[in-house]
Amino acid sequence: MVKNEIVFKGTKEGLHVVLRGDLSFAEIKDMLEKKIKPSKRFFEGAKIIGFSGRNILEEEYFELKSIVEDQYGMEVIGIYNDLNINSLYDVEEKAKRYYENEEERQDVEGKGLFIRSTIRSGQFIKHSGNIVIMGDVNPGAYLEAKDSIMVMGIMRGTAHAGSAGNYDSYIAAFRLEPMQLRIGDIIARSPDGMPYKSGIPEIALVKRGMIIVEPY
Amino acid sequence: MGEVIVITSGKGGVGKTTTTANIGTGLALEGKSVVLLDADIGLRNLDVVMGLENRIVYDLVDVVEKTCRLKQGLIKDKRFPNLFLMPAAQTKDKSAVTPEQMMELTKNLAEEFDYVLVDSPAGIEQGFKNAIAGASRSIVVTTPEVSAVRDADRIIGLLEANDLKNPQLLINRIKLEMVKRGDMMNIDDIVDILAIDLLGVVPDDEQIVISTNRGEPAIVDGRSLAGQAYKNIVKRILGDNLPFMSLDTDEGLIAKIARVFGFVKK
Repeated sequence: MVKNEIVFKGTKEGLHVVLRGDLSFAEIKDMLEKKIKPSKRFFEGAKIIGFSGRNILEEEYFELKSIVEDQYGMEVIGIYNDLNINSLYDVEEKAKRYYENEEERQDVEGKGLFIRSTIRSGQFIKHSGNIVIMGDVNPGAYLEAKDSIMVMGIMRGTAHAGSAGNYDSYIAAFRLEPMQLRIGDIIARSPDGMPYKSGIPEIALVKRGMIIVEPY
Repeated sequence: MGEVIVITSGKGGVGKTTTTANIGTGLALEGKSVVLLDADIGLRNLDVVMGLENRIVYDLVDVVEKTCRLKQGLIKDKRFPNLFLMPAAQTKDKSAVTPEQMMELTKNLAEEFDYVLVDSPAGIEQGFKNAIAGASRSIVVTTPEVSAVRDADRIIGLLEANDLKNPQLLINRIKLEMVKRGDMMNIDDIVDILAIDLLGVVPDDEQIVISTNRGEPAIVDGRSLAGQAYKNIVKRILGDNLPFMSLDTDEGLIAKIARVFGFVKK
């Protein structure tokens, strides 16, 4: 039997159910039940943000939803085609979650820390708003922002955007060749093997509970 | 209860990290459970040599400060399931941990693993003191240069003063041709000066540069000269009484290996 047809990915907000692309809907239903049934008690009350990895139709989505909600007592909190889990919160709720107090929010929201130099290995830049680097970020350097990160140069280090849990934040660079990217509590690492060269400006965002890198 | 081995040298750039990576991987190849501990806080390299840099989330300082659990600080190797790395922090410095904390950490690790290899930083200051704190056995790496041997001698003195009796010697980067011409210190000279047990000799090998850049220890594909030498060293660490061939430059271990592989004509 092939393993990992269905993977549950846990985030702070809830579970992501990642389905393997080449399965039929009937197989998915079957697998899902097989996976949940033995540990029904464990999954009871769990929050599911959405299903990803394979396109599911609207009626399939509702069928899955009714299965996990009615039979297993789980709760699906995402909506169909929910690209970004952050749409779960409204502006006020976000502010409460991401900033320690109103003052900090007023102080940093929408504002940025600008640095015009190369960030080298061992250097650690932490800011509660946005970070903008005019220069390169080398391997071993670490950036951490509560909002987004923009590197006007080559981003080769590790960057953590939305460090307080803001999945709306993003990481962008003229060349995005990072060691590791983190948005909220989601971590993505560079592929093994030959060093990756991007060649075009790119942006990393959270979609369906995963970090996706795309051109902008 | 596992064994804690510190790999140290005094001088920088003689191959401590390469040695740690290769011996650790070699022990894992032999089926032992191994953890590599990078004690070079602020100038970590072991993760790069092992090709695990992109997997680092927590590091040694996080574990010591208990911001994460011990298990979270361990990175599983991508090739061997019984090999783990605990990386050093890069944004801190050596004073971030104390010898007492290191002692506790290595003790905890030794309870779960057969071997704990500690990659020591260069120098004899705080970082060195941290690295040797929990060790029960030590390997001194040197190269056939007067300066490296001088530093190794100093380190051996310090190890013995810290109750690490019987350090073992690893001579790295020996160039057969140069020794033959008499332009390089030969193995006997070095052993004479340092007067400790010889664990092994590793020849200078281009393959090491390639494997370091690739993040794959040379011992994995043991075809290179250095990879072979590390394999023998691993067997000796495991207590195998591998016949230690006369270390005459002509008929030494390396010469033999070289001859077998057709690198040196006799």
